[in-house]
Amino acid sequence: MGNVAIARGIVESGCHIVTSYPGTPSSEIIPAVVMFKEELDLKTYVEWSTNEKVAFDNALAACLTGKRAAVAMKQVGLNVASDSLMSSAYTGVVGGLVVISCDDPGPHSSQTEQDSRFYGMFAKIPVFDPSTPQEAKEMVRAAFELSEEFQIPVLLRPTIRVSHAKQNVRLLPPQVLERSAHFDKEPDRWAATPRYRLVLHTRLNDTLRKIQEKFEQDTRWNYEAISSRGASLGIITCSASFVALMDLFEEFGLKDAINVLKIGTPYPLPQKKIRDFTERHKKVLVIEETDRVIESQIVDKNKVLGRLTGHVPLQGELAPEVLYEILAKVLKELGIFTLKAISDPKLDKLVATLDLPIRKPTLCAGCPERAAFFAIKRAFPKAIYPSDIGCYTLGLNLGAVDTVLDMGAGITFASGFYQAYHQDDNDIPIIATMGDSTFYHSGTASLLNAVYNNARFILVILDNEITAMTGMQPTPGLGITADGSKGVEIPLEELLKGCGVKWVRTIDPYEVNGLIQILKEGREYTQKSDGGIAVIIARHPCLIRYPEVCQLYRVEVEITDECNGCMYCVDFFECPALRPNEKEEIVEIDRTLCIDCGVCILVCPRGAIVRKSEKGSG
Amino acid sequence: MKTQIVLAGVGGQGILFASRIFSELGLKLGLNVLGSETHGMSQRGGSVAAHLKLGNFYGPIIRQGAADILYSFEEKETYKTLRFLKRGGICFANLEGLGRFDQKVLTHLKNKEIKFRAFDANREASAIGSVKSANIVLIGYSVGTSLVPFNRDDIRSVLEMVSRKEDLEMNMKAFEVGIRHGSTERI
Repeated sequence: MGNVAIARGIVESGCHIVTSYPGTPSSEIIPAVVMFKEELDLKTYVEWSTNEKVAFDNALAACLTGKRAAVAMKQVGLNVASDSLMSSAYTGVVGGLVVISCDDPGPHSSQTEQDSRFYGMFAKIPVFDPSTPQEAKEMVRAAFELSEEFQIPVLLRPTIRVSHAKQNVRLLPPQVLERSAHFDKEPDRWAATPRYRLVLHTRLNDTLRKIQEKFEQDTRWNYEAISSRGASLGIITCSASFVALMDLFEEFGLKDAINVLKIGTPYPLPQKKIRDFTERHKKVLVIEETDRVIESQIVDKNKVLGRLTGHVPLQGELAPEVLYEILAKVLKELGIFTLKAISDPKLDKLVATLDLPIRKPTLCAGCPERAAFFAIKRAFPKAIYPSDIGCYTLGLNLGAVDTVLDMGAGITFASGFYQAYHQDDNDIPIIATMGDSTFYHSGTASLLNAVYNNARFILVILDNEITAMTGMQPTPGLGITADGSKGVEIPLEELLKGCGVKWVRTIDPYEVNGLIQILKEGREYTQKSDGGIAVIIARHPCLIRYPEVCQLYRVEVEITDECNGCMYCVDFFECPALRPNEKEEIVEIDRTLCIDCGVCILVCPRGAIVRKSEKGSG
Repeated sequence: MKTQIVLAGVGGQGILFASRIFSELGLKLGLNVLGSETHGMSQRGGSVAAHLKLGNFYGPIIRQGAADILYSFEEKETYKTLRFLKRGGICFANLEGLGRFDQKVLTHLKNKEIKFRAFDANREASAIGSVKSANIVLIGYSVGTSLVPFNRDDIRSVLEMVSRKEDLEMNMKAFEVGIRHGSTERI
């Protein structure tokens, strides 16, 4: 997998420190570094940090001691780390620093389709843009070397089709770099005041010019992949689009008709290469994911086709069939030749008439978060429900999630809503939900603010003792670090106390009635004159991570003849193990999915879901 | 050899494991392997698809209308992923029966010379006590039909390599059950 190749590149570069906060499509990098560390018996320090900014700063500080450091995150994580990124471009680095930000055109699993390469331009640091796992691995090494040569952080930007692509790659032995930490005090750099910042900015611009010159000379990352004399159309491309295009050229025999300039370093853009290539063609088409980073930098756009001319879609992934359509359109417009249609509209139409359901992701059968959402909904059916990023975003399906903005906004939205309504003397219930990992990531600052400014709402922390959505990374609550060694456990209860919360209750959400009771008590507390924010920790381990836990709670259930097929449980509890039978008359239990949590017993309004032994049959 | 395979289904059906089988198979046969998988939200019961390209290709994504083989482990996902098959391609669908499948779609596939093989891998997997092995049963079935360019011994040795110790026996059993059914249907 691409992320494993990136991890291998990190290890092969002799990198000393690796930090990250998980997020699709970047999450597999750290586990793979840990795997290589163990396999090769390396001393690499690996850290799951509490958030991306924290990860960035830790890596940056490490490289100021002369060591090599890498920090990995998903593209929206770079928003969180951007404050540090911008400043670090000015101060620079000593040992190499490679920042890996994985983009998600589509988006498959993100809030935005943002193009991280813009952050490279924005911060003024060089960007490597790989097309395949093999190239990503090689670019990691090159990025470290560039970073050290010019003392500047370097951004590696794989898209999901690189990070999650599979490819056989060539392994190299890891480089061994014996470097002991030595921090050279240089206050004009590391603690620069605005006056010196101008000096640093001037130096940065100078560095960028030199790097651009280097990229102009480079033929390893920036080269003409197809170069024939006769072609009148040239394509400038990069990332996963490059390889998808090459497959199309091969399949449809287009290699004589179109030339291709592959750009691996979109910033600073090798302008001379672009100019030379453009001059030799009648028209030049720019195809890049996800936004127009190369296209925007091209100075003379006279011959240029791309997003600015409406030839390339402004959103969505550039899948092979999308690329084909773009090519067909451009080739036709230029009168070069006509590509035959490859789509099968008849099949699409036939399938469309079948009215297939869109398969919504759902919380797993037996997920404790479902039980918590059900209790919340039952206790306060008409509250406002700000929520956050994680598996529990899927509380949407239960109607218990109204907002999802970014990491931490579950709490800030709750306080913002409260203040807006409170101003009108309007007291409405607000129930915010947030997972444990998200709370450690960015919940505390939001909560401190809400407590300090006297906001009133209920916060339910869904504590499943793991970062479940992204693949089971440990949290500070668990006290286990990235490579499995012991860290210091930070219990949520203590953290909440430190945030100034005076009312905290902990309950297992499987106890739905108990949770409903506590929610009501919490609401009363928020309404008292000397009250405040009520926080409920709904704690039950993730069943995927800790399957053994299921055994402790086993309550085998069955559905009695009382079921009249009202579908209340299907619609409002939406456990995948409860589903209508073939004729949709009654509900039945899918035994392959059911984990015997027994929570649904409390759900059925007719009491038709019962513990199996109650009937004496089990 | 150049072969493009799409594997489709829903979370929990072992699609990523099936994809691993074919990538290891490719490596064993000395071929270059490229592929892509969906992760993240899809692991919570959503659609899952894996693409695999064995042989010399540049990129990991299969173009719609270019796949040689489609393995679909779930009925509705079959409809959604049929568009990946090329004219003359072949689909192995985990289905209770061909009668359940939309006849108009089947006719359309026939016109495109696409072979469509329905096989109740769930039933056969349940019969040997492991409904989770339906993925391997279906792969075994395809090898049994001799309509795919993979042979039994190669996949057996891949299974030995990639299976968890506790699953190996069941995986082998599932594979052989599939082979048996596939080969008796051979025309």
